[in-house]
Amino acid sequence: MTDPARSHDATSPRPDEDRQAFAEASESLWRITFGPALWALHFAGSYGVAAIWCAKVAAKGQDIAPLRLGFAVVTLAVLAAIGWLGWRSWRQWDYLGDRDYENAGANHEDRHQFLGHAAFLLSIVSFVGVVYTGLPVVFVQACR
Amino acid sequence: MHGGAERDVMAVMPVACMPQTNRQTAAACRRAAGCLAMLALLGACEGRQAVLNPAGQDAAVIARLFLGMLTGAVILWLLVAGLFLYVTVFRVSHMPRRWAESLIVGGGVLFPTFVLAGLLSYSLPLMSSQRTGGDGLVVHVRGEQWWWRVTYETPQGNRAVSANEVRLPAGRRTEFRLTADKVIHSFWIPALGGKTDMIPGRETVMTLEPAETGLFRGQCAEFCGASHALMAFEVETMAPDLFDEWLRHAASDAVPPATEAARRGAGIFAAEGCGACHTVRGTPALGRVGPDLTHVGSRHSIGAALLPVTAADLALWVGRTGHLKPDVEMPQYDHLLPDALLDLGRYLEGLK
Ligand code: HEC
Ligand SMILES: [Cu+2]
Repeated sequence: MTDPARSHDATSPRPDEDRQAFAEASESLWRITFGPALWALHFAGSYGVAAIWCAKVAAKGQDIAPLRLGFAVVTLAVLAAIGWLGWRSWRQWDYLGDRDYENAGANHEDRHQFLGHAAFLLSIVSFVGVVYTGLPVVFVQACR
Repeated sequence: MHGGAERDVMAVMPVACMPQTNRQTAAACRRAAGCLAMLALLGACEGRQAVLNPAGQDAAVIARLFLGMLTGAVILWLLVAGLFLYVTVFRVSHMPRRWAESLIVGGGVLFPTFVLAGLLSYSLPLMSSQRTGGDGLVVHVRGEQWWWRVTYETPQGNRAVSANEVRLPAGRRTEFRLTADKVIHSFWIPALGGKTDMIPGRETVMTLEPAETGLFRGQCAEFCGASHALMAFEVETMAPDLFDEWLRHAASDAVPPATEAARRGAGIFAAEGCGACHTVRGTPALGRVGPDLTHVGSRHSIGAALLPVTAADLALWVGRTGHLKPDVEMPQYDHLLPDALLDLGRYLEGLK
């Protein structure tokens, strides 16, 4: 070990690497909220838009085809986004790489994989939630 | 069942419970009341206020949905309990980690997700059938504390005002427009269909299509205050031609009192100012605070399915209103002598 930056104390933190790992962790910490956040937005948006549309646009009992079509498109887009997030976090978890589902260590790798694991599970829940929120739109044909 | 199990329980309880002199009788009394309540509940499975005894299109759909869900739940419960017994009693052994994980992911995540999606896809379309339009007749019902203001409106625009009772033509789909006075109520005729909330300042819409003629019972299904439990109503489904005939009668003015006692009763009605709150069409009584009494004598009950419509019960109602119905918005005329009350009862009973 001749690197002067390291040689005086092998256990001291290495500022650059550390900062980078921290930035990455905080980014994926943000990312685990995206799935549930999309679900929440889709849920609140569906209710809000349906209520306003029915009260202001569609006269009672009238066809609401444009609304349903719009819902279908948005729902598919949200599902695709959540699917993509899920796929990314599955990669980040790297389960098939090391078959490791316990990521409890206080080191960068475990933290990285743990956040991936958590984000993966949350995207599954969010995906199912969005599907269930979307189903009424498929089946309910009128505003009442 | 003629009088309704609840009414029988109410009639029996005060008598059985009167001599509460010691703890045993009190306990025995509670037991008796419990038994009666159980009987009433059991009776409800086949009675005229039973979800599982449908007499209309919409109720049949709901009953089928419930039985389907119940069957599914029983099967699932048996499966889960059986599996549990199997691994804890019959074959206790180490399970490979992969098996355990597939069981959790398969049985705990995938299976319920797909079962629930299937159930949702099956049950959601049922909602639109309950919201199809009516065949023409519209019944406006307004939830009051604690009674129902009912107005029939025909496609020709004719109106008939009634209360505490709903009559419907069987085999036709009738539209209900529901609202409420001060607090939320819920309009429910279990034998005919699902319930719909009545919300002050809003109009909720539902339709019902009775399949057979008969007498049923509806009930307020949203707690609304002291007499919520006493806020029920009678429902009669009739052959369409009989219904049309009845509706014409319901829209007509009151018949004049026919007997001497009834004439005295009409005088008392006017003198006591009942007309400030009640309408008897064809007389100066035009109040709108309480139920329309124009044809009260031809209804199936008074006080929102509380008492039958006999002169004696009408007299009891007017003389003991607050005792019969807590917080009722009608003053109690207990200063009237029994004879006067009975005359009033005869007058009201004659308002066919
Ligand atoms: C302050 C207003 C008021 C006055 C005055 C009043 N009532 Fe009432 N009455 C009501 C209300 C409100 C109800 C509904 C009570 C309930 O069921 O909760 C009612 C219910 C009734 C009913 C039952 C109707 C039904 O279809 O269920 C009868 C009968 C009746 N009143 C008779 C009388 C008579 C007779 C008098 C005069 C002696 C009288 N009322 C005076 C407000 C009034
Ligand atoms: Cu109520």
